[in-house]
Amino acid sequence: MTDFLNLILEPLQELFLRFKAFLPNLLAMLVIVIAGILLARLLRAIFVRFLKAINFDSWSDRMGMTTLLRKGDLWAKPALALGAIVFWALVIVVLMTGLSALKISAIDQLVAQFFMYLPRVFSAVLILIVGYVLAGFISRAMLIAAVNSGFHYAKLLAEAIRLLLTVLILAMVLEQLQVAPGIVLAAFSIIFGGIVAALAISFGVGGIDAAKRMIERETVEKRKEEVKDDIEHI
Amino acid sequence: MKTVTFRKEVQEQLDLIKTADIVVGIPSFNNARTIGHVVRAVQAGLAKYFPDRKSVLVNSDGGSTDKTHDVVKETSIEDYASILLHHRVEPLFKIATPYSGLPGKGSAFRTIFEVAEALDAKACVVVDSDLRSITPEWIELLVKPVLEDGFDYVAPLYHRHKYDGTITNSIVYPLTRALYGKRVRQPIGGDFGFSGTLAKFYLTKDVWQTDVARFGIDIWMTTTAIANQFRVTQSFLGAKIHDAKDPSADLSAMLYQVVGATFELMETYADVWKPIRGSEPVTAFGFEYTVGLEQVNVNTGRMLNLFREGLKNLQEIWTDVLGLGDFREVERIGLLGAKEFRFPLGLWTRVIYDYAIAFHEKKLPAEHLIKSLTPLYLGKTASFVLEVEQMGQQEAEAEIEKLCLEFEKNKEYLVTSWK
Repeated sequence: MTDFLNLILEPLQELFLRFKAFLPNLLAMLVIVIAGILLARLLRAIFVRFLKAINFDSWSDRMGMTTLLRKGDLWAKPALALGAIVFWALVIVVLMTGLSALKISAIDQLVAQFFMYLPRVFSAVLILIVGYVLAGFISRAMLIAAVNSGFHYAKLLAEAIRLLLTVLILAMVLEQLQVAPGIVLAAFSIIFGGIVAALAISFGVGGIDAAKRMIERETVEKRKEEVKDDIEHI
Repeated sequence: MKTVTFRKEVQEQLDLIKTADIVVGIPSFNNARTIGHVVRAVQAGLAKYFPDRKSVLVNSDGGSTDKTHDVVKETSIEDYASILLHHRVEPLFKIATPYSGLPGKGSAFRTIFEVAEALDAKACVVVDSDLRSITPEWIELLVKPVLEDGFDYVAPLYHRHKYDGTITNSIVYPLTRALYGKRVRQPIGGDFGFSGTLAKFYLTKDVWQTDVARFGIDIWMTTTAIANQFRVTQSFLGAKIHDAKDPSADLSAMLYQVVGATFELMETYADVWKPIRGSEPVTAFGFEYTVGLEQVNVNTGRMLNLFREGLKNLQEIWTDVLGLGDFREVERIGLLGAKEFRFPLGLWTRVIYDYAIAFHEKKLPAEHLIKSLTPLYLGKTASFVLEVEQMGQQEAEAEIEKLCLEFEKNKEYLVTSWK
């Protein structure tokens, strides 16, 4: 009977001992998570206040970031949205740190992988932000230059440039994140090449008449503009 | 801010000359075709009107490859008797030197200011090197108010065709006048007289690595003189005819240069212009006479096409800068036919003020912002040309006066919106 009881109690005892040994780790995780979340909230508040102080919202309006947020159905102010992103990024880091306190080898590996992946995420985000601003800048410069030189399809040209740049940037981001790099490279080549080929075909075959009309229109306009203009603007 | 180091031979010349009463500066870049005439006119002007003044002619060159330098050195008047009442007493010194710094008219002027300072000049003149209509009298008219009447800055007054100088007439003159309260009719004329004191003052300003060094020098000189309470006057020089400009020169780049410099100065002198209301006339020297002007052809159809292209494609930028109300108004005039097309004065005034505010608030990169003004400017120019087509020179000038008064009337809007 005693043997039988021992058979039952020993595993329970073992479980209890293991739980006893594990309990400090669990408590440590809870403390890390709770303190981390509180710290993340505090950092978010400070960060949002800093963003407001440097007029991040109006900078964001100027750079077209606000429009991008609205297009994504995000109606919060840009400073608050960025604050929320920073908060959740911190929460993820806190959770990972908390989980590593449990000292479970499987989780430890996962956490290590996560932290090794972080630099890639940061550089991808950086590429995305810089790329977005740059694409907007280049396409706007192209739009204004095309309008000022009297090109009829200025907006189309500017949008096409923005699209090509966006495709390029997204490909760079995915490549940075190592998301199926082979497929990304192939998809990028297909999309980029496809756009160029589509334009060539639409002008060369499908759009002969349209292309003819566009070129004729440009030529007629140019001929009209050939009326001498001697005005000195300065 | 004295950082220009003269070449050894220039320094030797300066050491030799020691001091001068008058320094005449001619900035140049590949002007071999026209600079000879300008140098002759300057020489004759100095000999005829200032024979007893020690004068120096400075050619500040941007690295010409067409022998501009040689033309300046070799040009001289052989037969003074045909133009002079008296023979020269003081010799005329010539300094021809390439300027250093950023390439542009501003850097060329800086070298001239440095020479004026080094020689402790009493009066200075700068004239463009592509002028065809310059006469010896220009030197008298630009120097005398400084030497004999104690003025610090002499702006030019020209007779120009009613269609010419539209950036000046529709933006720079009305805006400068409304801002600083002085009716300087040609604030970016290009040919100016100024005192040695003002030349030294210009050199104290640290602007030589900015756009002022490139192209904004004319408006910078005028505004700096007015805003810093220097005594400003004008001289009537007659017609301004210069070498034909490159027809492919980019209008939007020109607009960016001039308007950008004007807006930049609004930032610097915000405390000066904010309290000023209305404007006062600026005295003028010289005998005003009517001159025959060459016919100017204008293609208003092309201008209106570009205006409408802007309306179609730059909607987002214009709405952001002008606000929805004024954008709707611009849209409305865009629907008018070529004959009845008119750009209301009040609307144009608000357009310029809104662009100035957008520049101040950095709504867009400066170059994008100002270049997006080009189609609006062309609409305004077409409207002006259509309006004054049947008018004489004086009536056209009266239209510009109306625009100036509108700028002055609406200044409160600018001041209250400037945060």
